[in-house]
Amino acid sequence: MRRHHLLLVLGCAALLAAGPLALPPFYVRVGQMMLYSAALGVAWTILGGFAGYASFGHAAFIGVGAFAAGLIEVQFATLPPFLALLMGLLTGGAVCAILAAAIAYPILRLRGTFFAIAMLGVSHVCAELNNNVDALQGSLGLNFPPVAPDSVAPEAFFYELYLFAGLAVLLIAWRIRQSRFGAGLLSIREDEDTARMLGVPTERYKRAAFIISAILTGMLGVIYAHSLGYITTDSVYRDDTNLNLVVFSLLGGMGTLFGPVIGAGLLVFITQVILGRLLDFHLFATGLLLVILVLAAPGGALGFIRGWRRRRVQVPAE
Amino acid sequence: MHLIAQTLVDGLVLGGIYALSAVGFSLIFGVLHVINLSHGILVLIGAYLALIFSQALQVDPLLTLPLVMAVLFAAGYPYQRFLIQRAVNQSGLGSMLLTFGVALMLQNVMIWLFSPDMKSITPGYAFASFRVAGLTFDAVRVSALVASLVLLSCLAMLLKFSALGRVIRATAQQTMAARLCGVNVPHVYALTFAVSAAFAGAAGIVIGIILPFSPADEALWTLNAFVVVVLGGVGSPAGALIGGLLLGIVSTLTAQYIGPAFPNVTMFLLLVIMLLVRPNGLLGNAFAASR
Repeated sequence: MRRHHLLLVLGCAALLAAGPLALPPFYVRVGQMMLYSAALGVAWTILGGFAGYASFGHAAFIGVGAFAAGLIEVQFATLPPFLALLMGLLTGGAVCAILAAAIAYPILRLRGTFFAIAMLGVSHVCAELNNNVDALQGSLGLNFPPVAPDSVAPEAFFYELYLFAGLAVLLIAWRIRQSRFGAGLLSIREDEDTARMLGVPTERYKRAAFIISAILTGMLGVIYAHSLGYITTDSVYRDDTNLNLVVFSLLGGMGTLFGPVIGAGLLVFITQVILGRLLDFHLFATGLLLVILVLAAPGGALGFIRGWRRRRVQVPAE
Repeated sequence: MHLIAQTLVDGLVLGGIYALSAVGFSLIFGVLHVINLSHGILVLIGAYLALIFSQALQVDPLLTLPLVMAVLFAAGYPYQRFLIQRAVNQSGLGSMLLTFGVALMLQNVMIWLFSPDMKSITPGYAFASFRVAGLTFDAVRVSALVASLVLLSCLAMLLKFSALGRVIRATAQQTMAARLCGVNVPHVYALTFAVSAAFAGAAGIVIGIILPFSPADEALWTLNAFVVVVLGGVGSPAGALIGGLLLGIVSTLTAQYIGPAFPNVTMFLLLVIMLLVRPNGLLGNAFAASR
């Protein structure tokens, strides 16, 4: 992402910010879903795309963040809604950071598919503990106070909140990508052993990327919980989220910054708008899309466009 | 004392069935290095086919075994040859996502065909049981266990003694060398997949007679297979047996002594510890390195 890309992103964001004024509530909700998914996708890609550690269990952080925030906010029910949300965000982020730091050492020693499945295990274990330990109220459910001011429709409020959060996540990911740390993560993706041999502190970098990704995912989970208003274990620890985070990057372009954004937009559009009425058909359509993607465009949309551009440039030269 | 013994026996019976349900997954992982996320679906297809055949032919569900295995063998070969083979040479993620996509599609198809409700196969001896030395054995579970052990032994013999088994082992150990010796690698891959699919289907029958099943169970059986393979080691029936028995004992002991809701927690703790301490599984490095 170069400087004019940044301007383009800000321009798009300004345009998107005006969305709720012009769109009917249904499409504001779809937009909200797209922005939330895109933000999650970018948070995932800091670890899964840059460092190549594809996690199949990031919903663990959504759930842990959401429940940590909900449990702390109940204790301070008298706070004004805005401060409550802020406190929820900080708590959710902090608890996710602690969880990620605690499991980072064992789990980041695993690679490839083993890491992916172990993360899926982490997500299932967190969900099960949350559901069965009574103090965490996972099966009973948690209520979140409404945070949107009365003058604004809730869906518009959360739309703007997701837009803001998404931009923040994108900027963080962009800064990481530009930094020495980001270059280190890419070298881990390309060849971890060689990177380590050449002096890249791979262990520290992986751990940092894992924790940052977890914090951002957890905070998005907190906002998501507020937008739902009431959560149980099943509504935040979702296996389809676990899968979709991988699919966003795959659809848009694995390892790229904008890949997950494009992928999230496309997938949400396909499932919510085109197939919105065909609920019986969702699984089939998602599966078919995956199969076609892997067979026809393994590089995702961005990889496809780049390959096509490259071919176009090369043809006159020959 | 009696409770512990009974729990262990239940665990071993369950473990034998886990082992059978995982052996196909293990073989594909060991030979093709593909994580077949549609494995659970193949297991469930076996269960549904057994249900249909045993009702249509009015026979004991275990007698439909050859028929179910033949159908899945015939379906598995083209599935690997024409679909998964295209993704085998991509990164591990490619074949994983491809098989996951197929699993989602087939799960949806099964919901259309069989409804999302729980189904079960009840053979004539469903409620019979007998007691040996104070321990209770369900006739259904024992016959399921016996079927599992017989099938696992058959697969072990096939791999060890037959020409096909030799070619499969050679391809798993050194694909390039096998190709140089004239092995048609894609063909062997497809045959391996077909054999694995047939065993997944057989596992489906055995599971179908002891537990109720629904299309949504597929993820459970895929995950179980993964855990069994990690515990026992990749690519060998013996590894699958050890891993399966271990998993069965751990999950029944947890359910009995810690709480019925916690088997998954201990299972995955065991999995992570195993991956860290002995990444090749208990029987270690049966075929090529797996990571």
